[in-house]
Amino acid sequence: MTQEELKILEINKSVDARGTACPGPLLEAKKAIGTISSGDIMEVLSADEGTKRDIPKWANKKGHEYLGTVEDSGFFKIYLKKG
Amino acid sequence: MAKLCIGLFSGSLDKLTAAGVILSGAAADDMDVEVFVLLQGARAFIKGNESKIDNLSEASHLKEEFINALEKLNVPSWYEFFEMSKDMTNVKIYICSLAGKIWGGEKLEHFNDLTDDICGIGEYLTSAEESDIHMFI
Repeated sequence: MTQEELKILEINKSVDARGTACPGPLLEAKKAIGTISSGDIMEVLSADEGTKRDIPKWANKKGHEYLGTVEDSGFFKIYLKKG
Repeated sequence: MAKLCIGLFSGSLDKLTAAGVILSGAAADDMDVEVFVLLQGARAFIKGNESKIDNLSEASHLKEEFINALEKLNVPSWYEFFEMSKDMTNVKIYICSLAGKIWGGEKLEHFNDLTDDICGIGEYLTSAEESDIHMFI
C-alpha cells in the first residue's frame, strides 16, 4: 500500500507500544491480534527501531498481511491485516 | 509448530534477561518451548531468589549502568519475561536435579512457580534432539 493509502486506512484496533523496547511491541501486537477478527486492520505504534523489521516478518510467518509502515515524528505506525 | 529447546546454564542477570527476551519471542511465535535449567541457572529458580539475582556475566564493572538502563527502557525483569512467555505459549521449565541440589533444592516445592518439574540430563538431550532450535545460554 502507498503512504497515502495507509494514512486513510480505517483501523479496527490500535496498539500503542511506544513506551517499550524490543520485544515489547511484538508482544503487544501478538496479544492484540488475538482480540480482532480475520480481515480486521490493526496498527502498532512503536518507537523501537528493531520493530520495523521484526513485526512484518512475524506477521508474514503467522499468516497476517503486512500492509506497510508510516513514519511519524519519533515513532512509526505499522499496519497489519489479520489473516 | 516449531519447537525450541534451551539449556539454561547461566544464572546471571544479563543472561537470564537474554533468555527471557528469546523466550518471549518464541511465545509471540507460538512455539513449544522446553527450558532445561543447568548448574548456575538453578540458583535463580530457588524459591525467593528471583529478585536476588544481580550479578552480570560480562562487563560486571558496569552493572549499575546496565540495571539503570533496563529500568529506563521499561524492560520487564527476567522473571516477568518468563512469566509472560508461559502465559502466552507452551513453555515448560525443568530443573536438572543435580543443579537443584547444589543450591539446596531437591523437591519441586523448593523452586519458584515457573518451575514445572525436576529432570535428568537424558531428557534434556532428547528434547534437544527433537527440537527445531536448540540454544545453550
